Amino acid sequence: MSIVLENLVKRYGATPVVDHVSLEIEDGELFVLLGASGSGKSTILRIIAGLFPADEGTVWLHGRDVTNLSPQQRNVGFVFQNYSLFRHMTVAENIEFGLEIRKVPKAQRAAKRDELLELIGLAGLGGRNPRQLSGGQQQRVAVARALAFEPSVLLLDEPFGALDVKIRIQLRQTLKAVQRRLGVTTILVTHDQEEAFELADRIGVVERGRLLEVGPPVELYRRPKHEFVAQFLGSANLFAGNLQENQLHLGSLVLPVPPSPDDQPSEGQVAVLFRPEDLTLLPTNETTPVPVLGRGEVEGVQFLGTLQRVQVRLQPLPGIRPLVANYGQADVRLQVAHLSRADDHTEFPVGQPVSVGIQSFHLLPRAAPRLLLCIDETCDKEYIASATAMLPALNGGSVTVFVVGGSDAAAQQCLADARASLSGLPAVTFKARRGAPASEVLREVHEGNYDLAIVRGTAIGRLDRSSLAEEVVQHAPIPVLVVKGERSALRRLLLCTAGGEPGKLDVLFGGRLARRVGATTTLLHIASSQPQLVPAIVGEYPSTPMLVESPNGRVARHLEQGAQTLQSYGVRAEVKTRQGTVLDEILTEAREGDYDLIVIGGHLSTNAFRESNIAADVVRLADRPVLVVRGALN
Amino acid sequence: MASIATQESVVVPPRPQIRARRVAWGRVLLIGIVLAYLGVLILWPLLAVLQGAFAEGVGRFFVELSQPELRRAFWLTLVLAAGAVVANGIFGTIVAWVLVRQNFRGRSFLNGIVDLPFVVSPVIAGYMVLLLFGRTGWFGSLVEATGFRVVFSWPGMLLVTVFVSLPFIVREIMPVLQEVGVEPELTAYTLGASGWQTFWRVTLPNIRWGLLYGLTLTLARALGEFGAVLVVGGAISGRTETATLYIFGALEERQYTGAYAASVVLGLVSFAVLIGMEQLRRRSEVKR
Repeated sequence: MSIVLENLVKRYGATPVVDHVSLEIEDGELFVLLGASGSGKSTILRIIAGLFPADEGTVWLHGRDVTNLSPQQRNVGFVFQNYSLFRHMTVAENIEFGLEIRKVPKAQRAAKRDELLELIGLAGLGGRNPRQLSGGQQQRVAVARALAFEPSVLLLDEPFGALDVKIRIQLRQTLKAVQRRLGVTTILVTHDQEEAFELADRIGVVERGRLLEVGPPVELYRRPKHEFVAQFLGSANLFAGNLQENQLHLGSLVLPVPPSPDDQPSEGQVAVLFRPEDLTLLPTNETTPVPVLGRGEVEGVQFLGTLQRVQVRLQPLPGIRPLVANYGQADVRLQVAHLSRADDHTEFPVGQPVSVGIQSFHLLPRAAPRLLLCIDETCDKEYIASATAMLPALNGGSVTVFVVGGSDAAAQQCLADARASLSGLPAVTFKARRGAPASEVLREVHEGNYDLAIVRGTAIGRLDRSSLAEEVVQHAPIPVLVVKGERSALRRLLLCTAGGEPGKLDVLFGGRLARRVGATTTLLHIASSQPQLVPAIVGEYPSTPMLVESPNGRVARHLEQGAQTLQSYGVRAEVKTRQGTVLDEILTEAREGDYDLIVIGGHLSTNAFRESNIAADVVRLADRPVLVVRGALN
Repeated sequence: MASIATQESVVVPPRPQIRARRVAWGRVLLIGIVLAYLGVLILWPLLAVLQGAFAEGVGRFFVELSQPELRRAFWLTLVLAAGAVVANGIFGTIVAWVLVRQNFRGRSFLNGIVDLPFVVSPVIAGYMVLLLFGRTGWFGSLVEATGFRVVFSWPGMLLVTVFVSLPFIVREIMPVLQEVGVEPELTAYTLGASGWQTFWRVTLPNIRWGLLYGLTLTLARALGEFGAVLVVGGAISGRTETATLYIFGALEERQYTGAYAASVVLGLVSFAVLIGMEQLRRRSEVKR
């Protein structure tokens, strides 16, 4: 093993940018770390080079623990995106720098330099000033400089990022050839999946500081294990399906699942991945040899040479739901690849009706959210019972029970109680911490990479100071479920939408929750600044044409899109508008409609002097559970 | 419509001529203003000084210059200026590097404080040194015990000269360091260069033009310093009298020729520094 990483952790403040990354890289391998910008992939690379210290974990290079060594002692070649050539030195001096530092005799230096210049295709340009070279040539020099002293590993941080496409492709080939020739173990960091596919022996996909999945390009593309990887590499049509006795149920379709060597999910809810080439386009009237996913029409065609990429819009299909709905679209949109051959005269003009046939598919486990169940110093038994009852609805992949505040003895007692009542659930971990509850919970939220936090709401009327729930709701960057009152069933959800981005998020999140638990939803809009009367109850979508005469076209459109989105999830949706003060109307509607849960979008409160935060007010005054939605949809 | 169009086309042709003449007048006027302004403010006084210096003949000019007090004054000025250049060259570079490359608590406070010598009057700077090192000052007893004089002696004067010229080098180097970025230094580390090697072989060559420009500004400022060295040094003739203080003293004693002669020499040195600085600036611009 050339490079071994063990549980690397790096935090900025409380936020982990590298989160328990472990990795083993073979001798001579070209490994690509792939991730969006800000995912932490460059930080991993710099930790390996010793340019950043890791907070936790170990770095091994060729069996040597280098975690506490300086970059000088690690013997690592590093190439930055912006070349970083020494501008006051010639190309030759740049390449020889590492050798000169190591006091290699002049003749040997010159030989090595000429060999490398030859290898990178810049023979005879050693006397040039870096300024006289093009960007691509400069980056070649940077690679040669990093290789000159025969480093144990070569690390490249987005090396082609600053170059234009044509040069980039040339340079990839040069790099691959040089790397093969010298056999140096290499890690390359990039956000460009095409680059990763072309260069990598293996790819590691990094997201939010975590190394999600590692494998050869084909493996990751064909058989990803994470929804994120499926979507990040290539285009993906992802659907929610159900797996029972080796048969995939997708709406009314039942497909046999071929036995597979790797660990595919065996039972229950799964994500179904159709790559564009897994689907095939058929004329609508033909009887087909393959199962048909649905009928629709061609929405657009891109000619890409080898193949055509066809966008198809399917009519809503009973029981067939895309994993993540596009906001405002009840229709299902698909990407289908069509190979263009010389003898093939099929054309797909826009608007043509087609059937989409299934040729193959891949199953992956549904991303299971990580839940943080917070228990404060009161150790309220009723709260723990209600929250526990809600856990199945939240579909938690793992639950962390977090006891905070109070004396040590009380916390231990509380932990024991919680253990007793949660003993039936899988994947539960328990933690206890002393200190101010709100700040400890927020710290755990920041450090733990959770997808949802559950906190106890205090009884109505305590207006003197803000409660734990309000603090968490205002400052946590993830959705927060505030458990209040005695309800734990989720049959009727009230989705409060304001008509902006947070509105979208709460509809999407609320819709997925409603789909999972089979709840009905009411989409509520409060017209606060509009003195005009708007229709009070518009009825159930889509039976009543609704809100066409609304005074505010934007709001009407938003509500209609919201209702369509919910419909695409297969969730019963009703649209209501009320007029008055936002807070009062939400609370009144919640009481009158006897809802089980209020879902509301929250803004992060960064300013302590901000006059009000509707979500926090609802949390304080409501007499039932509130879900405050925020952050990335996961 | 058609008639209007023809009318317009008749009016148009003379326009360029009028415009050209207007621009020409404006140019002449602007150049005239610049000439008059610079002439009155710079050339005229310069000529007056030159005329004063040579009013009693070239021989007298050299006699005045050969005064031992004056030679000592020039020597002191050069020593102080050289001291400021060396001290700020070393410490200014360190300050700039630390402020740009290191992240620590209070960095922005320090960054603000660096400019203090620009906004505090040199006289006040001198007074601060008096308060610290004077007989009754904070370190007064300490200084007295060692028998080392600070106030009314060259160490104090050097101290204030370094103080008033501190920001130049820091402010010249910081933007260069920022522009170059940290990557060349990090690259040098990964190539095996120690911190010291990296500084000499990578960082210093990258900032050399900014540093040289800062050094020249420091030198010019130190040569012309008056208020601070007056307060700290007390202008004791032959001992703590710099060139500027000598000129001031000579004027007070109505020895105009001596004052003017010294002024001419000091002016020539400053002028040489100015030219050198301009040359460096050009070179650094080409290099950047």
